[in-house]
Amino acid sequence: MTTVDSEILIQATDLVKDYPMGEGSYRALNGVDLTVRRGEFIAIMGPSGSGKSTLLHILGCLDTPSSGRYLLAGTPVHSLAPDELAGLRNREIGFIFQMFFLLPRSSAVENVELPLVYAKLPPSTRHHMALDALRFLNLETHAKHRPNQLSGGQRQQIAIARALVNKPSLILADEPTGNLDSVTSGNIMGLLKKLNEMGNTLILVTHEQDIAAYARRQVRIRDGKIVSDEVIRS
Amino acid sequence: MTSRRTEELFGFWGAVFELFRIALRAILSSKMRSFLTVLGIIIGVLAVVAVVSILQGVFASFLSQFESLGGDTLFVRPNYEMFKSHQEGVRRLKMTYEDALAIARDVSQVKEICPFLMRTDTIAYHGRNDSTQIIGTTESYPQINSFFPEQGRFLAPMDVAARRKVCIIGQDILDKLAMPLQSLGEEIQIGRGTYTVMGILEKKGGSFGQSEDDQIFIPLPTAIVQYGQDAANSIFIEVQVRDAQKMDDAVERISAVLRREHGLKFGDVDDFRVFTRDEILKIIKQFTSVSTLIVGAIVSITLIVGGIGIMNIMLVSVTERTREIGIRMAVGAKRIHILYQFLIESVTLSTLGGVVGLGCGTGVAHLTVFILRKTVSETFPAAFIPYWVVLLSLSFAALTGAIFGVYPAVKASRLDPIDALRYE
Repeated sequence: MTTVDSEILIQATDLVKDYPMGEGSYRALNGVDLTVRRGEFIAIMGPSGSGKSTLLHILGCLDTPSSGRYLLAGTPVHSLAPDELAGLRNREIGFIFQMFFLLPRSSAVENVELPLVYAKLPPSTRHHMALDALRFLNLETHAKHRPNQLSGGQRQQIAIARALVNKPSLILADEPTGNLDSVTSGNIMGLLKKLNEMGNTLILVTHEQDIAAYARRQVRIRDGKIVSDEVIRS
Repeated sequence: MTSRRTEELFGFWGAVFELFRIALRAILSSKMRSFLTVLGIIIGVLAVVAVVSILQGVFASFLSQFESLGGDTLFVRPNYEMFKSHQEGVRRLKMTYEDALAIARDVSQVKEICPFLMRTDTIAYHGRNDSTQIIGTTESYPQINSFFPEQGRFLAPMDVAARRKVCIIGQDILDKLAMPLQSLGEEIQIGRGTYTVMGILEKKGGSFGQSEDDQIFIPLPTAIVQYGQDAANSIFIEVQVRDAQKMDDAVERISAVLRREHGLKFGDVDDFRVFTRDEILKIIKQFTSVSTLIVGAIVSITLIVGGIGIMNIMLVSVTERTREIGIRMAVGAKRIHILYQFLIESVTLSTLGGVVGLGCGTGVAHLTVFILRKTVSETFPAAFIPYWVVLLSLSFAALTGAIFGVYPAVKASRLDPIDALRYE
């Protein structure tokens, strides 16, 4: 199952991110190089303030590096304008957040539909695709429920369905189990592992070793630099 | 997944509809707040619609009253404006039946002339009492005013010449006095006199202040006998000229005759005024447009106030929904999507406010007319809402939402996705 020969999805070279702070600036990333092939499952680990969230934001096209190059599926992300980044996020990336980030006034299926709305798909197509995603996760009975009628685990599953629905090249999970109990966390991680086994590329940010253990490659980051990058045998 | 064609079909209007749905949901999810937000717009539109529709009703009724006069008709009355008060004018000015006869005799352009006086008096029939407007006039009245009897006849020259105590009644009088449908030849009491009904007029419908069906016509000389010198001195005269093109000549000749009859010297101000139909219509239309302007000014002020209310709440809403904006941006919403979302929300909100205001305004107008009819005059004209008021008030409400929604919407669209997602 090693991925030496598979296609390169992410090629990040010497990523630097500075945040203005008072008179000077704060360097959150200090020369990160990272190559990710399609089908990988990577955990990015590090203490808070290590720069792992900044890296995730750049990889997720929510932000651009101050310097360095970032190619996602061949697209030079580092030189894109905000709206081009939005289009790229819409097509290529699915996000899973610690706080789920579902729209509270919308039903589960409407939340799952959201990326398709901005992909300008007609309503009926959207609806069918969203229901398919929910069905895949055995959640179709909750399609009409609002987030506040669902448990934390169910909410995160809805969020996962939303991340899957546009068939992205890359799924990014930012502490996906941070708000869940250990049993539910296990279920969610099992689900992510299954998604990876089906061929999806996953990058996970966490500070918990047992969560990171689900991944097949662990990248440790500290003070804005990668300090270790190892493939885990399972 | 989807063909280019369906995407194009879905296209712009699909997106607008989508945003409209999102907007409606946001608006309905906090009904009370939405209501308070658009209260300014609601009150503004309500006030305008109520005032305009009542005014329009009054003007429409005025206009219909005067438009039934032909373009070849003019109208002469004492120049009350000479005096500070109307009462003083009534007391000191004279316009008599003899003036009318002099005009008829000396002005060749006159085709028909109809002097008349108006009084309100009590009426009675078989123990039923009421009051109505009594018009003393001559046989020329129906021709000039296109108002004809349905049964019997109008006043005849002999009725006038012989000061007969006969009357022609309007349709409403039958109801007021509970008279039988066949009332020709019946005798009714008008003030102190007893009159024989010679004709019943066709139904004409309401008009400002006084329904034209709620009137009784009697011969002018008879009226002068009954109502005395004051009445004899305040005769109004309607004139139909032979050639509408030569209206100015007629006005000049009539003025000359009246100045002679009233013994006015060179340099004296006319103690009478001559109005042509076009002049009357012009005055009414001027009044209409001035009041519309004033109303328009009030509208703009209330809508600005309402718009500020909307902007205020939309700014709060953008702040409150920062997280939502972040989520939408994370899954691929571009700036323009967020901008339109909030813009459409504020336009939807203010347009809904406009609709509610329109409904309430219509209600208030009808209620006001209802109350005025109970208290002031039974024949107060119905409120009339022209379609332009509906269009204008709704589009102004929408425009207000658009103008005052731009800033909050731009603010929302400029948010950074990461900051928006982190917002607590």
